[in-house]
Amino acid sequence: MDVRTGSETKGDCVVEILAQGTGVEVETKNAELLAEGIRAVVGEALSELGSDAVAIRVSDFGALDYVIAARVEATVRAADPKGTRPLAPTVERGASERDRPRRCRLYVPGSQPRLLVGIETHEVDCVLVDLEDSVPLSEKPAARILVKHLLSAVPFSNEVWVRINPLEAGGREDVGEVLIGRPHGVCLPKAESAGDVLDLCELLTRAESERGIDGGATWVMPILETAQGVLQAEEIAAADPRVVMLAFGAEDYTRDVGARRTRRSLSFARSRIVLAAAAAGVQASDTVFGDVVDDDGLREEAELARELGFDGKGAIHPRQIPTIHAAFSPTEAEIERARAIVEAARQAEEQGLGVVALDGRMIDRPVLDRAVRWIRYADRLTGGGDRDA
Amino acid sequence: MRNAVDREIPERIGGREVRPYEGAFVTAREGAKACRPQKSAPRHEDKILPSIEAAIEACGLSDGMTISFHHSFRDGDRVVNRVLDACARAGIKGLRIFPTALFSVHEPVIEHVRSGVVSRIEGSMNGPVGAFVSQGGKLAEPAVLRSHGGRWRAVEVGDVEIDVAFIAAPQADPYGNANGIRGATPCGPISFLAVDAQYARRTVVITNDLQPYPVHPMEIQQGWTDWVVEVDEIGDPASIVSGTLQLTRSPTNLRIARLTADAVVASGALVDGFSFQGGAGGISLAATKYLGDAMERAGIVGSFGMGGGTRLLVDLLHRGLIRTILDGQAFDLDAIASLREDPEHVLIDPGFYANYDSRGCATYKLDAAFLGATEVDLDFNVNVNTHSDGQLLHGIGGHQDVAAGSSMTLITVPSIRGRLPMILDRVTTVTTPGEVVDVVVTERGIAVNPRREDLVERFAAAGLPVRTLEEIREEVERLVRPARKPVFGEEVVAAIEWRDGTVIDVVRKVEGWA
Repeated sequence: MDVRTGSETKGDCVVEILAQGTGVEVETKNAELLAEGIRAVVGEALSELGSDAVAIRVSDFGALDYVIAARVEATVRAADPKGTRPLAPTVERGASERDRPRRCRLYVPGSQPRLLVGIETHEVDCVLVDLEDSVPLSEKPAARILVKHLLSAVPFSNEVWVRINPLEAGGREDVGEVLIGRPHGVCLPKAESAGDVLDLCELLTRAESERGIDGGATWVMPILETAQGVLQAEEIAAADPRVVMLAFGAEDYTRDVGARRTRRSLSFARSRIVLAAAAAGVQASDTVFGDVVDDDGLREEAELARELGFDGKGAIHPRQIPTIHAAFSPTEAEIERARAIVEAARQAEEQGLGVVALDGRMIDRPVLDRAVRWIRYADRLTGGGDRDA
Repeated sequence: MRNAVDREIPERIGGREVRPYEGAFVTAREGAKACRPQKSAPRHEDKILPSIEAAIEACGLSDGMTISFHHSFRDGDRVVNRVLDACARAGIKGLRIFPTALFSVHEPVIEHVRSGVVSRIEGSMNGPVGAFVSQGGKLAEPAVLRSHGGRWRAVEVGDVEIDVAFIAAPQADPYGNANGIRGATPCGPISFLAVDAQYARRTVVITNDLQPYPVHPMEIQQGWTDWVVEVDEIGDPASIVSGTLQLTRSPTNLRIARLTADAVVASGALVDGFSFQGGAGGISLAATKYLGDAMERAGIVGSFGMGGGTRLLVDLLHRGLIRTILDGQAFDLDAIASLREDPEHVLIDPGFYANYDSRGCATYKLDAAFLGATEVDLDFNVNVNTHSDGQLLHGIGGHQDVAAGSSMTLITVPSIRGRLPMILDRVTTVTTPGEVVDVVVTERGIAVNPRREDLVERFAAAGLPVRTLEEIREEVERLVRPARKPVFGEEVVAAIEWRDGTVIDVVRKVEGWA
């Protein structure tokens, strides 16, 4: 049988089961230095899979341990889909706070180790590992295994999310596998109804209980990227307490409605999503900006999104992070104003006043709530917050 | 014996007694410089010879002598191989070659070592010649590697006596003036060999573009030159841009570059009159770009940027962000064009740049420098010479000179390459001691040498991710099983000199793995 996974690209390895014999054959540059360590990783994975007896060849191109383990698992499971139990490496990761800053969600393809190397080092509010559009159909099984191992092996200091496939197109399998790695949240593409969200939530509840994770600990970010999805934004946002953020996907949206992508053509969908999110008390994140080298264009679009009320924006390359973070961070003046509002509220309460006023103007409850949020947000951004989430 | 970076160094290497490294600025030289035989030129003299063969004969080149070359054409060089082939045909044996550096194009040197034409090499070795020498038993004496400043010094004080300097010159006149920035195939400054030209017993200028007297700038001067040879080809300028000289696109490397520039800003060094030097690697180039943008935002004008010149450095000059470039070698063709056209792009030589035994070094005037590394260890020692498998693969370049000279030295290095961790307990070879390294920048955070507690506070205040090297090393160890390490035997294949001529480390032959 010819079963192999992985690729001959930097940071990856090719693992294949050999028709005859037993043992682990390793090919790598710097074999004297590296072959022994690789053999140990393969041996441990095989023994945990209960497959010590197979003969296996690993051609390494600089893969990290978790990549090798993932490729071994994917290969063994592909060879014997029913008989092998998935590996469940231990993961130490707590839940994250519901309203923490999510100024930028950085997409990274979940099937390419080359692009995953060092992904945890980028100082970004959310890393979003993708199993959907960036992963070819034939690579989805291996990719979800790779993402599981990535989540368990790599020390993410901020939030890490997984974008799964639509539930009927592999999403169920994605959830079953990646929840082992305890992502902070799951991104649901092409969400079109509250029912879509609830189906996912049910799956998550089941997976959480199987994995011994607190029920409800896994957040959900529906991506609205169809006409139907944008129209149903309100009920999607309010579908379940797991929903913490709505994301907008302009590429699919413009295709679906037959629009060209311009500021004008997106303006209704953007505003609708912001409104629906605000009404449900969740955050909203704008679509990605496709031109990686156009810093000015990115800044302009991020500032527009901020102006409309978005809390964050997607990125497709780490170099976009600083610009996006800057656009969605509260300004000094905003923070100062927020502190003044909260202080005024404290004094009003002390004096038993029912009404909060600052500089002669009444402060409404929503304004006060936002001020409290800004301050917590600002404290977190300056390092006082949940860096270990 | 143990030297000051705790490396075991033999008492003698080849024919000479070893002075162990004592510290970055400890030794002080007394006495006079070396000298060369004097000559009084006749009123009328024809220095033109018809061929390299004729020059070899006219110089009386014979067995056991020392000949020198520059590396400004890098992988495009056509002179070293040609001269050695001519020596082989003339039946000369046992030469010591003293190039500034050898590259992959010089792989034929290996054949000349095997056949006995070359028996010693003192100079940087990039690529196959280094790998060959690493196997041991190939050379009559271990190779010697020196920094740019250290090489100049070694000639001036007489550590190395050169018999014939063969100087590839993109432009020359019949009386022996020459330069590297003009002519049909400019390669950038050739001032590396200005010291060879002055101290060698004989100096031969080899050019493919002979122009009427006088050509200028006179990097090599008539008063130093014995013979001039015109040939069809000396090198291919397209090859002076090597693979390591591309602006990086890797997110990890861009992050390191960004952190590097941010660290310089956070250090408080970025004020009017700021001076800096970046290395030639992809990370350094990107850091130069980010730093320029930061200077623009801060509205400051730097005093000088130091080359190797690159288009990025030239860009800063043209944008008015630095007043002057001091430049001893060109890393791309834009830098060469700028050397010709921009009066504030000043051509310097390695003596001016970094000669330890002199009355001043340009590197001592640097406020900040960022340099690459192969490995860094917990003592902040840096290795740029050997691969993790113990093979000798790169020269020192200006690494030691710049690290020692700059007020703040930042080493940029990814924490892991493939499966190989780059932050180690102990580097394979010490090129540059931790004593002169202030900051190590990796994608996992910025480590500050404990000597620079002041920087820790400034970096933390700026929100930069300050970590210890131990933390970074441990984080990487969780991602990869430890690699085996080379086990070294007794035989020394190369000595690594500190820039003052002491020996900071030796490279030994690899005998196994553990």
